[in-house]
Amino acid sequence: MPARILIVEDSPFVTDAFRVLLTAAGYEVDAAATVAEAIERGTSAPVDLMLLDLTLPDGSGLEILDALRKRGSLPRATLAMTGHNDSASRRSCLEAGCVDVLLKPVPIGELLRQIERHLA
Amino acid sequence: MSMSERLDSAPTKRLKTLEAQAKEAQRTIDELRARDALKTQFLSNVSHDLRTPLAAIITHAEILREGMLGDLNPKQRDSLSGIVSGGQQLIDMIDEILTYVRSASDQVSLVRTDFDITELVDQVRMLNQALAAKKHLTIERLNGDDLPPVYADRDKVKHVLANLIGNAIKFTPDGGRAWIGFSRRGRDGEDLVVEVGDNGRGIASDNYDLVFREFAQVDASPSRPHHGTGLGLAIARNLVELHSGTIWVESELGKGSRFYFTLPLNPPRD
Repeated sequence: MPARILIVEDSPFVTDAFRVLLTAAGYEVDAAATVAEAIERGTSAPVDLMLLDLTLPDGSGLEILDALRKRGSLPRATLAMTGHNDSASRRSCLEAGCVDVLLKPVPIGELLRQIERHLA
Repeated sequence: MSMSERLDSAPTKRLKTLEAQAKEAQRTIDELRARDALKTQFLSNVSHDLRTPLAAIITHAEILREGMLGDLNPKQRDSLSGIVSGGQQLIDMIDEILTYVRSASDQVSLVRTDFDITELVDQVRMLNQALAAKKHLTIERLNGDDLPPVYADRDKVKHVLANLIGNAIKFTPDGGRAWIGFSRRGRDGEDLVVEVGDNGRGIASDNYDLVFREFAQVDASPSRPHHGTGLGLAIARNLVELHSGTIWVESELGKGSRFYFTLPLNPPRD
């Protein structure tokens, strides 16, 4: 069975691009655009890996990690994606449990390598 | 009206006028500040909103270029590479605007740590190596092995170095050289002076101040050979001044430029 990836991203442009990419790479893809939606999608079926945008309309992406952890539905790995990669926000992502922080636009080769590595 | 009352009234009147003028001036300052903050917020929002769909365009073009949706002929692949690299260039410019907006706003704060500045310089040199090699330029670090750690915001100092070294590469012709050197200034050597020099085309002394101004380029014509936002040195100046340092340039047309900035080695600890 293909691994299930949850894209958490409020821009439909970015979600579409990742959906095309990850589907072509053979993954099962689900998407959420808000914190609330991500918690709902993340608990309704087990997620193997989450691609997490940090700035969402109803809060910070990192809140999702807390909520999923409390519900025992934490994905095996979460990759944070951000528009500005300063060391302070990087640190807070890693502390919150993300395995890495990627700067958008993430070159697709790098993104696929990272996903493969963390699902292995 | 008695004689004494009449004598008093002239200065009193004058005082009242001055007070009114001061109030009016304060109102103007407050309004300009508010408008400036609004402009900064606007610039920040627009930049962010431009960046997001642009990032998606680049990802789509990369998916196609890598043949993930079907095979391509070499011409199609080249064309998609053009979209990717043009898009990436736009992202870099938007990021520079965002960095400028942040560096110029009141909310920006320094996250100081102790770090080895020569290690940072070497890292920035490495990052620019490919660009320099393309122009057969050398980027040398002249000294600095015995420097004490610097207590400053590493990300921001890195940005300053990247901008100065990037400019040195951009404005130095093929086969030239760029270098980074360190010295100490002040009675007890309390200021570290970082020099980024090159033997490129140089800057006329009339333009020494202009180059640090936002959106300014010495050659601002549409046909100028070097494009960019014209924000690099304005950002560098803001970031250096946040550290209570200064930045300046010494240059001679046709011979090259030396940019200097200072960082206090022992600023007050938080």
